[in-house]
Amino acid sequence: MLQRFLDPATLASISGIDLVAKTVVDGFIAGLHRSPDFGFSQEFAEYRAYVPGDDLRHVDWNVFARTERCYLKRYHGETNTHVMVLLDASRSMAYASHRVSKLDYARYLAASLCYLASQQRDAAGLIVFDEAVTQYVAPSGRQGQLPRLLHALERAEPGPASRTDYLRPFHHFQQFIRRRGIVAVLSDFYAPPDELVKTIAPLRFHGNEVILFHLLDPRELEPDFREPVLLVDMENDSALEVTPEYARSEYPSKISAHLAALSEKARGVGLDYFLMSTGRPLDAGLREYLSVRQGQM
Amino acid sequence: MGFLTPAFFAGLLALGLPVWLHLLQQHRSTPVPFASLMLFERRLQSSVKHRRLKYLLLFALRLLLLALLVLAFTHPYFERRASAGAAGKAVKVIAIDHSFSMRQGGRLDRAKQQALEAARSFAGGDRVEVISFGAGVQVEQNPVTDPAAVRAAIQGVRATDERSSFAELARALRATAQTLQVPVEAHVFSDMQKSSWPPNFADAQLGGGVRLIPHPVVEEREANFAVESVLAPARLYDPKKVRVQVTVAGYGTGPARRRVTLAAGGREIESKEVDLPANGRASVEFFALEASYGWNRAEARLSPADAFPDDDVLYFAVERTEPRKVLFVSEGRGSRAQLYFRTALESASDAAFAMEAMTAAQAAALPLKPYACVVLSDVGAMPAGLEENLRRYVEAGGALWVVLGRTALARDLVPVSGEQVRESRYSPREGERFRTVAALDTAHPAVRSAPRWEGVKFFQAVAVDPDGARVVARLSDEAPLLLERPVGEGRVLVFASPLDNIANDFPLHPSFVPFVVETARYLARMEESRASQQVGAYYEIRAAAGAGAAVEVRDPRGQRALSLTEAAEVRGITLAERGYYEIRRPSGFQELVAVNPDRQESDLDVLPAETLALWRNTGQDSAGASVGAAAQTRRVSLWWYALLAAFLLSLAEAWVGNRHLAVQEQRMKA
Repeated sequence: MLQRFLDPATLASISGIDLVAKTVVDGFIAGLHRSPDFGFSQEFAEYRAYVPGDDLRHVDWNVFARTERCYLKRYHGETNTHVMVLLDASRSMAYASHRVSKLDYARYLAASLCYLASQQRDAAGLIVFDEAVTQYVAPSGRQGQLPRLLHALERAEPGPASRTDYLRPFHHFQQFIRRRGIVAVLSDFYAPPDELVKTIAPLRFHGNEVILFHLLDPRELEPDFREPVLLVDMENDSALEVTPEYARSEYPSKISAHLAALSEKARGVGLDYFLMSTGRPLDAGLREYLSVRQGQM
Repeated sequence: MGFLTPAFFAGLLALGLPVWLHLLQQHRSTPVPFASLMLFERRLQSSVKHRRLKYLLLFALRLLLLALLVLAFTHPYFERRASAGAAGKAVKVIAIDHSFSMRQGGRLDRAKQQALEAARSFAGGDRVEVISFGAGVQVEQNPVTDPAAVRAAIQGVRATDERSSFAELARALRATAQTLQVPVEAHVFSDMQKSSWPPNFADAQLGGGVRLIPHPVVEEREANFAVESVLAPARLYDPKKVRVQVTVAGYGTGPARRRVTLAAGGREIESKEVDLPANGRASVEFFALEASYGWNRAEARLSPADAFPDDDVLYFAVERTEPRKVLFVSEGRGSRAQLYFRTALESASDAAFAMEAMTAAQAAALPLKPYACVVLSDVGAMPAGLEENLRRYVEAGGALWVVLGRTALARDLVPVSGEQVRESRYSPREGERFRTVAALDTAHPAVRSAPRWEGVKFFQAVAVDPDGARVVARLSDEAPLLLERPVGEGRVLVFASPLDNIANDFPLHPSFVPFVVETARYLARMEESRASQQVGAYYEIRAAAGAGAAVEVRDPRGQRALSLTEAAEVRGITLAERGYYEIRRPSGFQELVAVNPDRQESDLDVLPAETLALWRNTGQDSAGASVGAAAQTRRVSLWWYALLAAFLLSLAEAWVGNRHLAVQEQRMKA
């Protein structure tokens, strides 16, 4: 039943991004038919014989009482990971053909990822960027980290002259991201695929799992112009007259080629690529994240 | 190049519509913010321009289509100058007046002489047409170049008794110019009577291709006396009780005394002097007309004769006869209907009917030919032979008046005429439930003189099915009251209610007597007789066209006016000559019809020179120019071509438009 709260239009009506994140994650988990107490680090894995030097805190004293032998109890996921969310807040992300803009959708998704990470005791961090890094919240698993992240997300708005420049901010990221973990990049990726992948790929070299969430509006995928329109670029204010015929015939092939090239080149360097339409529910994005998170265990 | 209706150029404003559709609307682009134009290319603008170029063909077609439609509505034309030499030389028309007035003083001979001289003056290769005109136009010779044929045609023109009409001449000349498509040079030889000019000047318009050259045979008005009219009864029952009024007129004359002589059957009856005022008319009355039994050829003659003696006499025909017999047939003698009918018939002073009454059984074997009409009053059971006797009588030209009453339902059909009898409707006197006459055909002679039947109450009437018969009167319930049906040469009248003052109160009504008298007159064909007719009048000789017994018609010269086939088929004749026409019907009835020329021909006043000049100006007037070098302009209309081009353009526009839409659809599918 909570699945319906994953619909972007429904989420847009909820005030407060923390509530949005909670609604999304709880709804998503409920949809998995698993316990709400689901946790990776609490799961029993195996028993191992005690060897000198092992921490006595891990000895299972109940077993020792029965057998008079020391055994250590081992668990899965006892190590936490770093989750770094990179959010593109350039002006092109403000585009919306319906109630939810790409930036809104990205914030919901980012908030949901942070909320999910905090539930799993992962250290979550956030970088908001356009031409440069505008906000940075260092990854941390401490108490109060989640409100900081959500507060930073609420303040993430496109600036008056903000344009996407992947080179400068990604060079900057490498200074902040020292531990290996998961890097989620939320952007519309309006850049040549070669240049884009070349810029992002170094993150992968540090052992990070990088997920590219490519956020696009449904109308960017399938424009619907009934008459010739003068399109104005939201980032550089250039204008171009486009006829409905072109938008119906040639543009779809171009955008398909762009997406295919981006996906192919990203996967080619080990980046996970995931296309998300802002008209679709958020659970697909979360599922992609969890599958990558599984690989970190 | 010109336009008949240039106001339609206002329709060019409609050209703004495609301009708005193609240019203004297409140029309007809505600025729409978009995330990135990275995937849109600069060359798209040229694509749009190229697409607009495609639109331009459609745009041009639509503009041209509208412009052509507007052009077609403005009726464009250009004038083609057709020279006499190129389009054919002008046809020369010699028109000779052959009307009654041309009999005066050898006018026709003078006209023919002048025409011959004119024909001689024509060039050798000229095409010449010869026509003569009066009330109508008669072609004596189609256009020929043979002078001998032209001369023969001119000499063959004979005087008639018609009146002349310049309107008819102008119409014929216009038609000739339009038919031959060449200029017409009309030489008109006439006495140029003022009375021949039409009341409406436009009727005498000659048209652009006609040049009129009048050749008057007289220069000025000549005085003339004429017997203008005679008022006399067509039938005479008592020679001592008759009144004949003769009106004499002087045209362009001074005060004069003239003697008027009345003659009948070749015998002079009486003469009287009459004093005529200057250029006026006077009447003289005669109170006796001794004529022998039968038809008499009567005339009123003026003496002494003047220069135009043909109109000094006016013919009229008088039939002296015994009172006409009317046979009243009923089931029993002394009926109430008989009393009312007889009283009504005898109350008319000049009706001259003698009624005989008998029962149906008595009439069965009676020869009906001597009777002017037969009245069959409420006869139920018909004796053997009576209906057949009546049918033969009617088909031979007799007349039957069937009055339906209480016994009408004994038969399914009305005798002789054959209408189906449906029912007898009775309205009791209580409660004022009677019927009245709701519709009356006042054009019918039986009710023409007394059409006020509003107060008549009908309590009982027989409903019959008209079945194509002429319904003269209807009751308030739409039931026919008075019907007429022609049968053979004769007539049958059906009255659907008895005349007995019981089934209705019609006999007590003032309109009853004139109705009975006029109906009897109509059935006895007495209303058709007029003392004289005018030349050119149409005279009906049988009730319906079609094969029947032959009617013999002899013209004033004593010759048969109709062939044997015509005598058996035609319905009427045109009285073309003055004098007496004799008409003999197969039933034995004989008629004499006196015919006189239109007395407008007696006024010999000539057309004023100004009117003549105006008349010439309505044609191709070229007073000093040579006709041979004349060039005629002919107006060639172009609207039809413009409309045809618009139609073809509309097809092209539809094709281009469809093609454009098809491309769009393909792109959409792609």
